[in-house]
Amino acid sequence: MWQQVELALSQSAHRVLFKLASFLPALLALFLAVLVLSAIGAGLSALLHRILTAVKFDERVSRNQVGSVSDWAPSHSPTALVARTAFWACVVLGVFIGISAFDAAYPGESQIALFVIPYLTHSVGAVILLIAGTVIARFLARSVLIGAVNAKLQYARFLSLGVKWLVLVLTAAMVLDHLQIGGVVVELAFGILFGGIVLTLSLAVGLGSRDIVSRSLERSTELVPDPIPGDHESRSPAETLRHF
Amino acid sequence: MASTQTNVDIAAAATVPTGSLLVSLVPLSPEALEATLATLSLAFANQTVLVATPDTAPSLSLGGPLRLLPYTPTAVSDTSWVLTAADYLNAFKLVQENQASACLLLGAESHTLHPEAIRALAAATATSDLAVARYDLGPREGLVNSAILYPVTRALFAARPRFPLAIDLGLSVRMAQRLAADAQRFTASSQNDALIWPVSAAAAANFSISEIDVGTRTFAQPVASDLNSILAQIASSLFTDVDAKASFWQRARSTQTGRSVAPTSPPMEHPADVAPMLDAFQIAYTNLHEIWALVLPPNSLLGLKRLSAMPPASFRMPDSLWARIVYDFILAFRLRTINRGHLLGALTPLYLAWVASHLLLISSGTAPEKHIEDLASVFEADKPYLVSRWRWPDRFNP
Repeated sequence: MWQQVELALSQSAHRVLFKLASFLPALLALFLAVLVLSAIGAGLSALLHRILTAVKFDERVSRNQVGSVSDWAPSHSPTALVARTAFWACVVLGVFIGISAFDAAYPGESQIALFVIPYLTHSVGAVILLIAGTVIARFLARSVLIGAVNAKLQYARFLSLGVKWLVLVLTAAMVLDHLQIGGVVVELAFGILFGGIVLTLSLAVGLGSRDIVSRSLERSTELVPDPIPGDHESRSPAETLRHF
Repeated sequence: MASTQTNVDIAAAATVPTGSLLVSLVPLSPEALEATLATLSLAFANQTVLVATPDTAPSLSLGGPLRLLPYTPTAVSDTSWVLTAADYLNAFKLVQENQASACLLLGAESHTLHPEAIRALAAATATSDLAVARYDLGPREGLVNSAILYPVTRALFAARPRFPLAIDLGLSVRMAQRLAADAQRFTASSQNDALIWPVSAAAAANFSISEIDVGTRTFAQPVASDLNSILAQIASSLFTDVDAKASFWQRARSTQTGRSVAPTSPPMEHPADVAPMLDAFQIAYTNLHEIWALVLPPNSLLGLKRLSAMPPASFRMPDSLWARIVYDFILAFRLRTINRGHLLGALTPLYLAWVASHLLLISSGTAPEKHIEDLASVFEADKPYLVSRWRWPDRFNP
């Protein structure tokens, strides 16, 4: 019996060591691919940065009024945006090549790449969605806040927060859906949350704007034009303000 | 004015001797054009002047001093209340084609100018490259100019014209050429409505600048009634110009003395209603503090906190605080600290606070011009702050 136990142990140890021995080169191939491509990415990024700085890419972009590009760019520099995009593209490419190399070097029959690569692609997409959603949420929240403040709405901050969370909830639902996590639960939760936020905002704006709406209706019935914010052409011509 | 005899000769336009003055008009209504031609006839009674208009020329009598030149504009602008890139480009092309010695560029409602004022502007082109009109405005008019355009232009470019965005200008040929070159950069990318800053352009080129008092005139008002969008348009254009000419203004030194103005004026009969502006500032203070904190240093934020706690009757924004705010916004515009649209939107309530403070100050008897000259002096004195932060934006700043 002890012989059988010894045999079973030695065979299992042999199998584990064999698998480890065949797994390590595959893992090494994966790391090597990621490292090499990251190094290539860093070199490419530095080269692009130098070339674009030499041709004054930032100045050209700002002169051509492509404000939207500059506003999204890291450090507010289109050159940095291009360089970093190139670097991360190389890193992602390295991960893909590494997984393929891992799959090729690993002698097992389970085709890991077949499962991992599509999921990794989805993960990259999800990360991009998350970043884009966060940036858009912040941008829209600020736009709404400033617009509402300049329209002299007392609940400007509340409105801005509502818009921000609407976009964030939408982004979170999209990310989870993209990663195929949660399934129907996410859709239901998203519907409830999104609807809830919209309803809350509608009620808040509706109740908060009662006075504004009634004043506006009174004004329209009296056919008096809306005053310009800051411009007062009321009582007498002597009180007229002209900003320009 | 409209019934005045206008001596205009369209047919003889081709026979105008080279080297004469060219008056370039912006698009006008038929009535306004007729009135403007009448004013020009009075202004140049004994001088042959070429008048270029993009409008259909009226049929007028022969043998007068004016030679009317209808033309098809190279670039067309939809903006009429201020001179745009298209206007400068068209004016220079006309100067070139007609070999004029100088150019008078008159904005909308130019028929309300006095003939003497037009004559003085034209005469100034003989001695200086840029003649800028100086208008007599009421204490509640041209507030953006008084709050931002004049102090910034005077402090940074060491140029004294009170109206850097004047719509009546006298230009030498080389000045017209320079402005057209600036304008062409915008018209090439179909931005015909872009604003051009003649005073800073002349200062940067080391051209001579003179200022002509033209008295009162009627101004066309912007079509859009939204203060936020128009303030953003003007401030954005000015800040871009400041950014583009940074290498010049960091070296420029103001050597001229300030204007002498009366320190006091009689209190206004109808004090301005500043309550809506103060409300706008209070709402902004409670909501935009986080955004302002990205742009303004702690000292300015402290100043705004004190301002928000002031009772309306004694509401005063210190000139030094306003100068710092404008300089920090210029800097944030350059560094793109936040989205530029957001940045300029966040400036509006602060500008309204300055307007409220200015109106309260002048209602207490301080002469408006005195306050504006004092403000411009504070901007000049604080210029080293901007230069320092422009060069080393990351340096600690209390």
